[in-house]
Amino acid sequence: MNSSKHFSVIVRVWRQAGPVEPGKMVSYKVANVSPDMSFLEMLDILNDSLLKKNEAPVAFESDCREGICGTCGLVVNGDVHGPDEHSTVCQLHMRRFRDGDVITVEPWRVKAFPVLKDLVVDRSALDRMMAAGGFISVNTGAAPEANSIPVEKDKAEEAMDAAACIGCGACVASCPNGAAMLFTGAKISQLALLPQGGPERAARALSMVAAMDKEGFGNCTNEYECEAVCPKQVKVANIARMNREFLLANLFSKR
Amino acid sequence: MKLDAQIPAGPIEKKWDAHKFNLKLVNPNNRRKFDVLVVGSGLAGASAAASLGELGYNVKVFTLHDSPRRAHSIAAQGGINAAKNYPNDGDSVWRLFHDTVKGGDYRAREANVYRLAQLSNQIIDHCAAIGVPFAREYGGLLSNRSFGGAQLSRTFYARGQTGQQLLLGAYSAMMRQVAAGTVTVFPRREMVDLVIKNGRARGITTRNLVTGDLEAHSGHAVLLCTGGYANVFYLSTNAASCNVSAAWTAYKKGAGFANPCFTQIHPTCIPRSGEHQSKLTLMSESLRNDARVWVPKTRADKRTPHQIPEEERDYFLERRYPAFGNLVPRDIASRAAKTVVDAGFGVGPTGQSVYLDFRDAIKRKGEAKIKDEYGNLFDMYYQITDENGYKTPMRIYPAPHYTMGGLWVDYNLMTTIPGLFALGEANFSDHGANRLGASALMQGLADGFFIAPSTVGGYLAANKFEAASALDPEFSESAKQVQAKINRLISIKGDKTPSELHRQLGNVMWNDAGMGRTEASLKKALKKIPEIREEFWKNVTIAGADKDFNQTLEKAMKVADFLEFAELFVRDALERKESCGGHFREESCTAEGEARRDDANFSHAAVWGYQGEGKEAVLNKEPLEFENIKMAERSYK
Amino acid sequence: MDITFVKRLITTSIGRKAVMAVSGLLLGGFMLVHLAENLLLFKGEASYNAWVDLLLSNPVTPLLEVGLLGVFIAHIITGAWVRLEDFLNAPRGYEARKWQGGRTIGSATMLYTAAGILAYLAYHLLTFRFVDHSMGFYQMVTSAFRSPVFVTIYIAGSLALALHLSHGMQSAFQTLGVNHPKYTPLIKAGGLLVAVTMTGFALISLYYLAGIDLKAAEAGYQVVVIQ
Repeated sequence: MNSSKHFSVIVRVWRQAGPVEPGKMVSYKVANVSPDMSFLEMLDILNDSLLKKNEAPVAFESDCREGICGTCGLVVNGDVHGPDEHSTVCQLHMRRFRDGDVITVEPWRVKAFPVLKDLVVDRSALDRMMAAGGFISVNTGAAPEANSIPVEKDKAEEAMDAAACIGCGACVASCPNGAAMLFTGAKISQLALLPQGGPERAARALSMVAAMDKEGFGNCTNEYECEAVCPKQVKVANIARMNREFLLANLFSKR
Repeated sequence: MKLDAQIPAGPIEKKWDAHKFNLKLVNPNNRRKFDVLVVGSGLAGASAAASLGELGYNVKVFTLHDSPRRAHSIAAQGGINAAKNYPNDGDSVWRLFHDTVKGGDYRAREANVYRLAQLSNQIIDHCAAIGVPFAREYGGLLSNRSFGGAQLSRTFYARGQTGQQLLLGAYSAMMRQVAAGTVTVFPRREMVDLVIKNGRARGITTRNLVTGDLEAHSGHAVLLCTGGYANVFYLSTNAASCNVSAAWTAYKKGAGFANPCFTQIHPTCIPRSGEHQSKLTLMSESLRNDARVWVPKTRADKRTPHQIPEEERDYFLERRYPAFGNLVPRDIASRAAKTVVDAGFGVGPTGQSVYLDFRDAIKRKGEAKIKDEYGNLFDMYYQITDENGYKTPMRIYPAPHYTMGGLWVDYNLMTTIPGLFALGEANFSDHGANRLGASALMQGLADGFFIAPSTVGGYLAANKFEAASALDPEFSESAKQVQAKINRLISIKGDKTPSELHRQLGNVMWNDAGMGRTEASLKKALKKIPEIREEFWKNVTIAGADKDFNQTLEKAMKVADFLEFAELFVRDALERKESCGGHFREESCTAEGEARRDDANFSHAAVWGYQGEGKEAVLNKEPLEFENIKMAERSYK
Repeated sequence: MDITFVKRLITTSIGRKAVMAVSGLLLGGFMLVHLAENLLLFKGEASYNAWVDLLLSNPVTPLLEVGLLGVFIAHIITGAWVRLEDFLNAPRGYEARKWQGGRTIGSATMLYTAAGILAYLAYHLLTFRFVDHSMGFYQMVTSAFRSPVFVTIYIAGSLALALHLSHGMQSAFQTLGVNHPKYTPLIKAGGLLVAVTMTGFALISLYYLAGIDLKAAEAGYQVVVIQ
């Protein structure tokens, strides 16, 4: 513990008043930063000090602040979700920085995620893709007894690996092409790996990929930057599975 | 206020079936003519929207998040209970019912709890069917684990992310209905008012969080699935946006608020590290399966834990509760930690924590095995504290986590306002004065998937509805009042931020109405809260305009409601002169310092009714009758 | 007649990528065969020319040539399309940007190596395909290989190809959905091996540029690589 060692940093942050207004980087000095503070708590301090000067605080989003809700997402010094591996930016702590550091903070800069204000982007494209087939069509009350469908343990684990996606959009933000393949691949994989998802496999792969294309995401060039930044370590094997599901569905299903 | 719980007659096992039979049905062709407004998209909200959508109702879902998938249900780690008895260890619906009533310290309504236990199995069936990747055994069947407060394994789980997986399941079921056209999701909308017409809930006013516009939505029923209010303590394990505002608005429009003082304080949270702290992080209580909790036997001992020899350590849970040891229920573990810390034995830089030590477990099982079981929690702890839990004991301290209190609802989950329902953590019904681990997810999904679809339909079928539209004067009046409040907030232009004032409130709540409450401390809080509220309305600062994306304004509106609600919370705590579950009145304890219930005087739900601005709320009581379970003193010694 | 499934190969992101991957694998395969042919140079003028004559006299060869052209065009069109879309959709405007370790030199330079290969191909066709072949193929090839200018361009072309395939081969498998913990490491290693093999083109040209064949002949050795 070195909570007594407070320090100052310069935060260069993207300010943009609204979706159509031009934005720019603005620098602020944040003093009295404790190494035990989280990165977002440092931004809280900045915002409180701006408020006291009756200036508009920097808009940024976060909710659970423990890396599970997927609300937060910033590019810190060029690192998607900050320099720590396999974590979200809300899990980043200020002990990663030193006195006098200049920290550049930017939003996800993706065409399909337009900036709403400052560091806040609109990721509703991901919800629309889910509505295109990211589900299993079973009505409430119609389900059979849970243990009547055994699932191979390895498959269940793999499905869980894919299901761990928190929908933060880091994969898109980090992709050189702005592709959402890891997100889509993870959901298609999860439901393809489980026998419960079997009946809709083909239809799901075709419709979710179509929805993904419609939202204006880029193509996959298999550079695997998404896997490198994913806070939940979702693997690109899920993209391969999506490709397989899609191509097989295209060739062999009746759709 | 008339409190009729509408509990069906007959033996408890048959009540729900009989009730479903007695509820009127809506003709399938007529369902799309009914608009159902669901506020909140967590487990309760998303599952209710999905089920109602499947039935054919026209459902609108409102969430303050950018996506419905982000609701705070997502943060639940441990699991979801069900009485499947897969491990063959003697579980049954009756036992889950019994454990839940006992765990809630006999302050829950029997009939509701029984139904919850009954539905628990169907929830597992449904969630498995919609693709929730539950943990499985090698044979391919579902795996169970044990959890605090139960002596058998009935908890289903998906790694440490059960809440996330269940929420994504409910969310996907809801998105299916979005595709089907029965459900419309309105993201980034905060409910700011409930609209009542002719005595019935007929709509809501929402604020569009992007544009700042006030929007009117009319409907035939309103379902509040808006979660709990633990953020009244400022620091809690809840997400930043969790708030009491929707429930509070409903209360001010006439809905009874039950047992607001029933709060769960979770024992294994990472202690705060300084004034900057914005939230507390919970670590799964499964840690207590292997770790030992201790403090030094000397006050303000500044030695490192390694320098403190075995005989100078006080393993206070093992000492006080030899039978359950480190595995006592949450409320008891939390209180014991507070007792030693208050007495000056606390450790760490602030003295506000106790050790959670894996030394002996590592010796016994080896570091690799411990890493295998709890590795992610050690990582989480390291990330936040920069300390290696394998080498030096972790430090923990209790933190507000869940609120058992909430809007009073009858057996149909309807509040005292006709047409206004409350589901999940937002209602008060099932957990009494203390919730058992892995029961919150169960309740949210039982309410949403199975109960509300029947009872909301029953309400819609049984009543005649006059036409209502968003153009009615009730809606414009609502918008006018909300706008006036916003204008007032914006115009204050003081010098305190909403967060500062929220923190101030949190300190009062934690110190005077937190884990240990006395008449004196509560009275002190009752004096301080109005002072902070006054300061808020004189001195809060909000930059920017209201017709804009304005997070400070959002925050201020939530804090304004917390500042009113806190007073009701404290009054309820003051009124309940007994200790039960998470509510500990220091005056009411046994010689050994354990909680002592007063069944003769407090075996009731305390339901508060709003009387108007500046007037004292009126207390109504719903007596709790225990016909199936014998009340006994909870003992874990 | 419902040809949606054909349309999807062109109109969807994954369909286009699949066409690109299949054509890429075919082209990679062609390059391996081509390299094997070049190795025939070591067997001597007679053998090499005999093989070329056999090839040219075969009535199937023009069909194969057209097929190859088709595959090549499919690869270029889908590749260009994918890249154009990526260009339009790529994240733009990051002040700071750090790659996180997923990218490789090969993957980051696909577009440039593709352009290089295309330019080289044009040169290659102009120097070998659309010229007077009366001197004999062996003479044509080996004399080109004795020109430092030609060999420099030739080496650049084969290195671009190697770099392109270092990403392209394994990437094609991923695109076609082949990713498995057991096989993917082998596929990646195999892809790299194919890429490295492409430097064989460069080595052969260097062999002639250095005049090793002439020196060997002077010394009375007949170098035989392929029996």
